[in-house]
Amino acid sequence: MLGLFNTLNLGARALTAQQLGVEVTGQNLANANNPAYARQRVQLQTSTPTPTGIGMEGTGVEAVSIQQVRDQLLDGQIRSESSVGGYWNSQQNTLENAQTQLGEFLNLSSSGASSTSSSATTQGLSGQLNNLFSAFQGVATSPTDPTARQSLVNAAQSLASGFNQASQNLSMLSSQLNTSVSNDVSSANQLLSNIATLNGQIAKATASGGNANDLMDSREQDLENLAQLANIQTAANSNGTVSVSIGGQQLVSGSALSDTLATYDPGNGQLQVQTATSATPLTLSGGSIQGAIDARDGTLATLRSNLDTMASTLITQVNGIYQNGYDLNGGHGANFFTGADAATIGVNPALQNDPSQVQAAGVANAAGDNTVALQLAQLGQQSQAALNNQTFSGAYALDVADFGNALSNANDQVNNYNSVNTMLLNHRDSVSGVSLEEETTNLITFQKAYEASAKIISTVNEMLSTVINMKS
Amino acid sequence: MRIAGTSFTDSMVSQLNLLSARQYQLQNQATTGQSITAPEDNPAGMAQALNLQAEDSAVTQYAQNISTLQTRATISGNAMISLQTIEERAGEIATAADGTITPAELQADANQITQLIKQAAQLMNSKDGSQYIFGGTNSGQSPFTVSTDADGNVTAVGYQGNTSLAQSEIAENTTLAVDVPGANDTGSGARGLVSDSRYGADLFNHLISLQNNLLSGNTSAITSTDAPNLSKDDDNIIWQVANNGATQTRLQAAAAFASTRQSGLQQSLSNVAGADLAQTLTHLNQAQSAYQIALQTSSQIMQLQQSVLNSLP
Repeated sequence: MLGLFNTLNLGARALTAQQLGVEVTGQNLANANNPAYARQRVQLQTSTPTPTGIGMEGTGVEAVSIQQVRDQLLDGQIRSESSVGGYWNSQQNTLENAQTQLGEFLNLSSSGASSTSSSATTQGLSGQLNNLFSAFQGVATSPTDPTARQSLVNAAQSLASGFNQASQNLSMLSSQLNTSVSNDVSSANQLLSNIATLNGQIAKATASGGNANDLMDSREQDLENLAQLANIQTAANSNGTVSVSIGGQQLVSGSALSDTLATYDPGNGQLQVQTATSATPLTLSGGSIQGAIDARDGTLATLRSNLDTMASTLITQVNGIYQNGYDLNGGHGANFFTGADAATIGVNPALQNDPSQVQAAGVANAAGDNTVALQLAQLGQQSQAALNNQTFSGAYALDVADFGNALSNANDQVNNYNSVNTMLLNHRDSVSGVSLEEETTNLITFQKAYEASAKIISTVNEMLSTVINMKS
Repeated sequence: MRIAGTSFTDSMVSQLNLLSARQYQLQNQATTGQSITAPEDNPAGMAQALNLQAEDSAVTQYAQNISTLQTRATISGNAMISLQTIEERAGEIATAADGTITPAELQADANQITQLIKQAAQLMNSKDGSQYIFGGTNSGQSPFTVSTDADGNVTAVGYQGNTSLAQSEIAENTTLAVDVPGANDTGSGARGLVSDSRYGADLFNHLISLQNNLLSGNTSAITSTDAPNLSKDDDNIIWQVANNGATQTRLQAAAAFASTRQSGLQQSLSNVAGADLAQTLTHLNQAQSAYQIALQTSSQIMQLQQSVLNSLP
């Protein structure tokens, strides 16, 4: 038999256990809206039984631990998916920005909704290219008309400005991506430091027999945030710490931050990532850092290169014909365009001041001759070897389509990520999330158990009084 | 499946965001009347639209070229008809100058021929804007110059133009020249309007000869030489008028073709990039209804959750 006093102790242990249950339930309810929180539960087990004359007798209940309800596999999947999301969101943001900077939008009607409108204009380089060749036609048809000549100069200037602006804007975007990469690397290093610190705290708490559930929640949040920046590989250690590697390089080992990330310039002004201490170049397989790098060095670089090729081909082809022409004053041999690429293309300044210097004729002293102007006008319909045997307009349309495909693909990938991520988060919530109904019910359960345990004590108390009062 | 408190709200927010995005997209399409605005909307469609727009721009320019050429052809044709009138009057004078005409009448006829020469020269220096139309590609200066003696009689009419003609595009790889050189005595190339050695036409020299023969009273030369020569000039001008008419007809046909192409291209562009308004509005209505239903059901579920909490002691 336990005896009355041991029964009192049984009651006391029960009160403690139920009280702990209420506290843990309260912790869960308090963090019901904390997305980083994994619900906790008290692990109760019967306390050590005591031998009696009639066998082992139970001695009540005790709380042995407070456990976190978390699925490591799900956490790993979510981290992996975060890297995918970070990568494609970065691509999408960059390419959306580039689309705006390119400025190639279709406007079927300028006066509101119409699906049967009569004119189509684009605001970008496509429309400006068309205007240039139309203007050459205008001069070819009326070679001595000063209005036609001025229109040609204006159209050429608009096109040159369009190329300059697009090139400048895309160049600035590329520079901004360098800054974004640098900032993300700094953020990643801060998170690595946080994780190492939390590892140390978790190891200490675990070693002293305590629990580190809340620290683990914080660490998991930091791991997920880090995964958005770069694809990480983790390894759980027996002391509760987690090692973190990026690109095959271990950066966090237990509570030690063994290395960090750094950016470097390989010589072309486009920042890449390496480890800070060992200077090992890294090719990250996911995350917003690599997303920005791939967008900058992939689609964006291709677009900029294509614009440069188009501009340089236009300059070369137009000048090649134009130099053979004669202006209204007998002038000959000048260039129409200046510059070499999209950033530098311009119109011969002499023409802007005096359109009569447009060299439209094929022979001298024949103001009505339009041979050169006609050749320039027909250039718009000719395939160019440097543009994969496409016309200028055709090549540009293909460039726009290629760019659009890249952005459309990024949009689809982001949508896919959102669907998968939502599913994974819902699944994790179903395991680790706090259910108000469940916790409220638990609260009642622990409360009633606490009341029942108090009854044990009050009952034993009365029994003790009875025994004591037997001797009077 | 266990449902956490945040699962429902996260799912609700996600669905509402999706429905909002869908409504925004459809609203945009309905407002602009376009299914394609940016390259990301439909990359292949965007490329197709850009190519159609380029073709439309080219055809529009061809139409403008045709209009310019039509104006020039009309000016040219009107000048030719007026020239024909002058030539016919000169022919009448030449025919009437026989042995019965008096010296005074001969003098009067000579004066009239002098004026006709000057009038013809003025016609041959017609312009379209800043361009002389009968000087070939040497259109920056008047193609014909008139020289006179002390008495005002015309002694010579010189041609300062050339025989080259500017071609203008009226369709892809299709060019047309509407100008006519004032004179072509090279033996090849475009037919000259007032002078062409291949056809015996030399209007100004023939008129000067007639003027001089009238002044000198040489009626036999007028009958044997001047009148037949003027007849050749008449044939040449008639040919030019007919050719001008054929050119104008061709330009009208080209203009009609360009107009048809423009209509076709604009329809193609609408097919590629235009929004089916009926379908768009139907989908928009569905998205809006779905959004409202989502809000209502979300509200009911949240109220139910509150009821559950309130029911517990």
